[in-house]
Amino acid sequence: MESITAYTVSVIITLVILFIAAIIANVIKFEGGSKPRDPKIRKLWFWILCLLNPILIFLLGFFVFMPDGNVRVVKNYIAALSIGTVAGFFLYILLGFILSRLFTNGKLGHWF
Amino acid sequence: MDKLFVIAVGGTGMRCLEAFTHLCAIGMFDSKEIELLTLDTDQANGNKGRVEKLIQLYNRIKTGGTPNANTFFSSKLNLYRFYTNYSGQGRENYKNISKINSGTTEQQKRNQLISDLFLDNESVQEFDLSHGYRAQTHLGSMLMYHGIIEAARNIVRGTDVKVQEKELDEFVTKLELAGQDARVFIFGSIFGGTGASSIPIIPKALQDFIKIRSKGAASIDFSKAKFGSTLLTEYFTFKKPNDKQKASKENSIIADASYFPLNSQAALQFYQSDPTVQRCYKMLYHIGWPVESKPVDTGSSQTITGGATQDNASHITELLAACAAYDFFTRTNGLDVDKTEYVYKAVDFNNNAFSFSIHDFVGNGNKAGERFANKIGAFFSLAHISLTVNNAANGDAGIKGFITRCQEQKITQYNTITDAECGEINDYFKAFAYTFESARFTPGWLYQVRSTVAPGTFIFDSKAFPESLSELKKLDVGTIFLDEKNHWPKGGMLANRYDTFIKKLINLGPEEEQQVNTTKEKFLAHIYNAITHSQGFHLI
Repeated sequence: MESITAYTVSVIITLVILFIAAIIANVIKFEGGSKPRDPKIRKLWFWILCLLNPILIFLLGFFVFMPDGNVRVVKNYIAALSIGTVAGFFLYILLGFILSRLFTNGKLGHWF
Repeated sequence: MDKLFVIAVGGTGMRCLEAFTHLCAIGMFDSKEIELLTLDTDQANGNKGRVEKLIQLYNRIKTGGTPNANTFFSSKLNLYRFYTNYSGQGRENYKNISKINSGTTEQQKRNQLISDLFLDNESVQEFDLSHGYRAQTHLGSMLMYHGIIEAARNIVRGTDVKVQEKELDEFVTKLELAGQDARVFIFGSIFGGTGASSIPIIPKALQDFIKIRSKGAASIDFSKAKFGSTLLTEYFTFKKPNDKQKASKENSIIADASYFPLNSQAALQFYQSDPTVQRCYKMLYHIGWPVESKPVDTGSSQTITGGATQDNASHITELLAACAAYDFFTRTNGLDVDKTEYVYKAVDFNNNAFSFSIHDFVGNGNKAGERFANKIGAFFSLAHISLTVNNAANGDAGIKGFITRCQEQKITQYNTITDAECGEINDYFKAFAYTFESARFTPGWLYQVRSTVAPGTFIFDSKAFPESLSELKKLDVGTIFLDEKNHWPKGGMLANRYDTFIKKLINLGPEEEQQVNTTKEKFLAHIYNAITHSQGFHLI
């Protein structure tokens, strides 16, 4: 049960962060000029949020969603949260890559 | 489908052809291949050089391409150049070229008498012809006619045929092949020298050229051939020549702009009553500038008679002349007349200025005015994106920025367009809109045209014509039109017009009905679609 909570937290936070990354990518306007900077800024924000994602998963999981229970329960939760944090990191990249390919000609295409 | 031919004569004719070329570039002559002939006595003329360079640039942009529809540079242009040769020994002036002093003594006496009857002995017979006919139309008509006939005779003889004669021959061959499907429009003024001299005689001269070349087997039937021209009266002025400048025999005759109104009136009377003109021309378009003419030679101490220094700025009347050609080439009726029809229209004049609306250029039938505004607006916006946003006016990437943008958006089909090809498109925009030369602002064709109307209105908002770097940086390229309904969509709170435009660019592409083949044509059609969709003209 604790494990499910940790993984759910990881997935939800990853999806929320990815959603925020997509909003930021769309809010950044297309620039004119010979060397527009907007693609690089979108990519930068994507990777900043990619790094923020595991930190947020772990901190929120640890301080907000930590279950009350015995040491074994907490231990199991921490173990699941750690796995969820790593999984969230890779899930963010995987989903980001898929979205980037789905919208390859749009602003999200700049992520990869 | 009718075949289109344009003949530009003299300095004013060249500037009208320049306006016509820009109409082709904005896409007004869809799916057409147009034969262009420049005709002058002054092969070094600045305006002639300028338009020929422009057409050559147009053709480089169009290299390998074909006529297209609903895109920029949609027509194919073929340029031919002919000039009467007044530079060799014995060809400098009337006296030498007509060989008055050859033959027996009696013949020489008669030659001199008949010449003196029509042409002033001391001045008209002796001025330097290489700078044109200097408002001496009675002399000019005769010499231009004989220049063309001389070319035909040289071609028949087959020896020492000059390059310009070969080019005239090619042009006339196409005209002859087109037969009654040919529509020929002639640009020139009726108040100056070369154009005014040539307009009345060109149809007849071309007819006789064909007769001589075919040894009487072929001709032009004026009841079927469709010739049109402008009756372009005075719209500019220049310094009155002083006695010091007129002291030499070569410059004994210099056109005097103060006589231009009188020349125009006399020419109009002539065109109204001359049976040859009435028989040859189906349509004559009255174009004038009924307010004070602006001087064109403010920086010169002497009257410019011709040569490379005659490089006058463009004027809106020349755009109107080009629009007259558009009308002539696209009209479906009124060309089966036996006698010349005259066409004219008026423009609003308030507070001492003209107000040109989108309907004042090519009419308003079938939403022609909207189509014209849509195309010229799209081209002007693209020129600003290239020159202003992508800074080509100061040597930066310009149109290449679009290819970079497409690459960033993983649209890779335009990657093969080279930097040199992008440079040519940028150069065209510089000629069309503006550039900076040694950090000094230099207005291009559209800026010059608009300046002749200011403070009156001219399709676009006056804010679309900034001249300083700081003002240019502030320009929103999506708001160039006077009418706000043609501004590009804002795209919501978190976007801007340019952002919305790029989204359109990403989602659109060239369409099959545009008949584009080369990568460059596809690229230009793609941008055309994005801009015209953004402008939101309702054309159906």
